[in-house]
Amino acid sequence: MRKSIKYILWVAVILVVAYSSVYFKKLSDVKAAAAKGFDAAAYANNYFYKQLPPAIAEAPDVDKLIAMIKTDTSAAFKSYGHALAIGTTRYFLVQGKGTIVNIDDNGVWVSTPAGNTVLLGTEYVYGNALRDASGLVDINKFSNTMDLNNISGAVDKIVRTKILPGIKPQLKKGGIILFSGAAGLNQAHLQLDGMEITPVSIKIIR
Amino acid sequence: MLLAACHSGHKTKQPKKIAVIVSTLNNPWFVFLAQTAAAEAKKRGYETKIFDSQNNTALESDNFENALASGYSAILFNPTDANGSVVSVTRAKAAGVPVFCMDREINSTTEATAQILSDSYSGCVEMGKYFVKTMHKKGNYVEILGIVADNNTWSRSKGFHSVVDDYPGLKMVAQQSADFDRNKGLEVLESILQAHPDIDAVFCGNDAMAMGAYQALAAAGKANQVKVFGFDGAEDVIGYIKDGKISATAMQFPKVIAKTAAKYADEYLKGKRDFPQKVPVAVELVTAKNVDDYVAYGKKN
Repeated sequence: MRKSIKYILWVAVILVVAYSSVYFKKLSDVKAAAAKGFDAAAYANNYFYKQLPPAIAEAPDVDKLIAMIKTDTSAAFKSYGHALAIGTTRYFLVQGKGTIVNIDDNGVWVSTPAGNTVLLGTEYVYGNALRDASGLVDINKFSNTMDLNNISGAVDKIVRTKILPGIKPQLKKGGIILFSGAAGLNQAHLQLDGMEITPVSIKIIR
Repeated sequence: MLLAACHSGHKTKQPKKIAVIVSTLNNPWFVFLAQTAAAEAKKRGYETKIFDSQNNTALESDNFENALASGYSAILFNPTDANGSVVSVTRAKAAGVPVFCMDREINSTTEATAQILSDSYSGCVEMGKYFVKTMHKKGNYVEILGIVADNNTWSRSKGFHSVVDDYPGLKMVAQQSADFDRNKGLEVLESILQAHPDIDAVFCGNDAMAMGAYQALAAAGKANQVKVFGFDGAEDVIGYIKDGKISATAMQFPKVIAKTAAKYADEYLKGKRDFPQKVPVAVELVTAKNVDDYVAYGKKN
């Protein structure tokens, strides 16, 4: 009798151990979790709404940046330019004020107080300008380049879908605006006239 | 003892050796990449040798074996296959030999010391923007892909589509691989033109296929109606952009990739260990507007 109780206890222990050691999950759930990986949209949201605004607040006025680049290109690129990729293109955060002088298929052309003409690229918001210009995205934290590509895509999408639709219809020739954004410049082929700025914010003041 | 001292003294004078293992020397782009890497390593004081894998993973594996057996201290590596090459890199890592991938990546983020790669995706985002502008947001187009197993093929395609797919007026009527090969590019487009004679543009994953596509269009009498877009910055395409035959290419910088890999290997052998796993090298859009600033494989000095 005692022997059979002993056996029953042993079987119970084995069953408890076996039950605790094995668990089942739906294959579709496991695959979905594996595919989920890095959440670029969440990263982009945090970056665009929390990290970028203080960096923009510190960004140089576009006229000041252009003047500095004309005076000492290397120093300006070193002080204000950032890029994740090796190369001669660097991205700059800028802010400024100006009068809308034209609107075309590429975006909004703005004349600044110092007489510079810049393009707020409201039509083709794609690329790495907004991701790179702040210098806040650290390449060493990413082993997968597609994650970095997806950050650019997600940040640009915020501008295309959340920022521009509200303001674009209100932009008219002659209007005066405050703007901020990121510009890409290639030090080897410097093109300051019509410098394209990917917008972060546009505010009509008149 | 004297002999031993002589031997040891002789040994310390030997320069360390760096191997350059390249996917193929049957393509001028990779010849340039391998020779630049070897020259930069030599300039930094290393004995170098170039091993040609002839686009064959088995031969590539033999090259690794030879390099490891011959006492090379580091390997500058242009892989033949993103998946198939991993095992060779793992073997080198196990032997304590660092591997620096050039231009093509392997599907592992733990085996190579660093991977220095053209930023193909971002280059094709810029290409996509230019494509949409040039096409005025509408038209039928064909995409000719590179080798389907190569990550670069999909980085380029995905970058391009991340822009172009947002414009519903642009319709891709065919997408087919031509293995980065000029003759196959010609054949593939000839065949596609039979089914889709009314295309407005062709986007090719490299310049060799763009040249083949242009040849097919010229033979069909459509070279003036159909715009061709490539990727690489090859010499003949730079000339064709100047002549208005090809609309644009994306310039890669093999010199920058090769020199960075050799510099990293040198730094590693001198004690540095913290390298970013993936290092993108910028790719620049070349069009009729700026083509005079460029030469094959880079910028004019």
